[in-house]
Amino acid sequence: MIDYKTPEQIKVMQHGGHILAVVLNEVIEAVVPGITELELDVLAEKRIRELGGEPGFMKVAGYHHTTCFSTNDVVVHGIPSKYKLQPGDIVGIDCGVYYKGFHTDMSESKRVEQKGEKKDDVDKFLEIGKHALNEAVKVAVIGNRIGHISQTIQRIVEKEAGYSVVRSLIGHGVGKELHEEPEVPGYLIGNINRTPKLIDGMTIAVEVIYNMGKPDVVLDHDHWTIRTKDGKLSGLYERTIAITEDGPLMLTK
Amino acid sequence: MAHQGSFEKDGKVLEALPNTLFRVELEDGSVVLCHLSGKMRMHFIKILPGDRVRIEMTPYDLTKGRIMYRYK
Repeated sequence: MIDYKTPEQIKVMQHGGHILAVVLNEVIEAVVPGITELELDVLAEKRIRELGGEPGFMKVAGYHHTTCFSTNDVVVHGIPSKYKLQPGDIVGIDCGVYYKGFHTDMSESKRVEQKGEKKDDVDKFLEIGKHALNEAVKVAVIGNRIGHISQTIQRIVEKEAGYSVVRSLIGHGVGKELHEEPEVPGYLIGNINRTPKLIDGMTIAVEVIYNMGKPDVVLDHDHWTIRTKDGKLSGLYERTIAITEDGPLMLTK
Repeated sequence: MAHQGSFEKDGKVLEALPNTLFRVELEDGSVVLCHLSGKMRMHFIKILPGDRVRIEMTPYDLTKGRIMYRYK
């Protein structure tokens, strides 16, 4: 059952999403060569609590960190470790905030600074993901369906850029639970008219999870981290949005 | 945090249990406890042991499924 939120509840989520956006941007700014994933995770937790929120991921059974660090070939769910970020690494930081009873979920990818300002394939890879997410949010209007979001992401990532959207991981509804209905895949499954309609009050986390190589992923030996099967790079972008009469409302801003 | 999406599998119904629950055997041999989807209930579509069906499953619990379609 899809939980549609009232305007008051959306305002609460907006506040939580703002805390999340502020903290995640600070963490992204703090990404420099040599810093460890764990230090950034601790920074995120400290800042979230200072701003009045709670780390949402700590509510996930068995998870004890504030963020997921998905470096290079790690697709999602990377556990923050003492690994020092190297110049040129790409790191996808996923974070969640629980505020006044509601979750918000957000992810951003960043390339760790390296010598020389020359843009290469990896920078282009990250830009496409960001672009796909922005375009997907634009089509999240009442009257469209989840399928339109999925179709947009798939079109930009696969058809236009030649990368691949990960099939087994999906975006999701967000609210009182971190993962709610509906499922928001990054690729169109079946007939677009059989996907859920976008209705006022829906709050969803739109995720662009994509690989440079093939879309197949494998579960790591720790039974938690998910990596690309072919070892190539993976990108991650996610925003929580609310569907409203006035169009998509970015909650994580 | 990213969520793992649900997927579909085909199987054959082994037995019918009370409350429109069915034991379904998948192609790979595993047996899954499935319930009937709401749409099929609404349209009074009957399922009997021996029918080939398509079920929807979640990676978070591989013992349960939902019957979405009965093949002719």
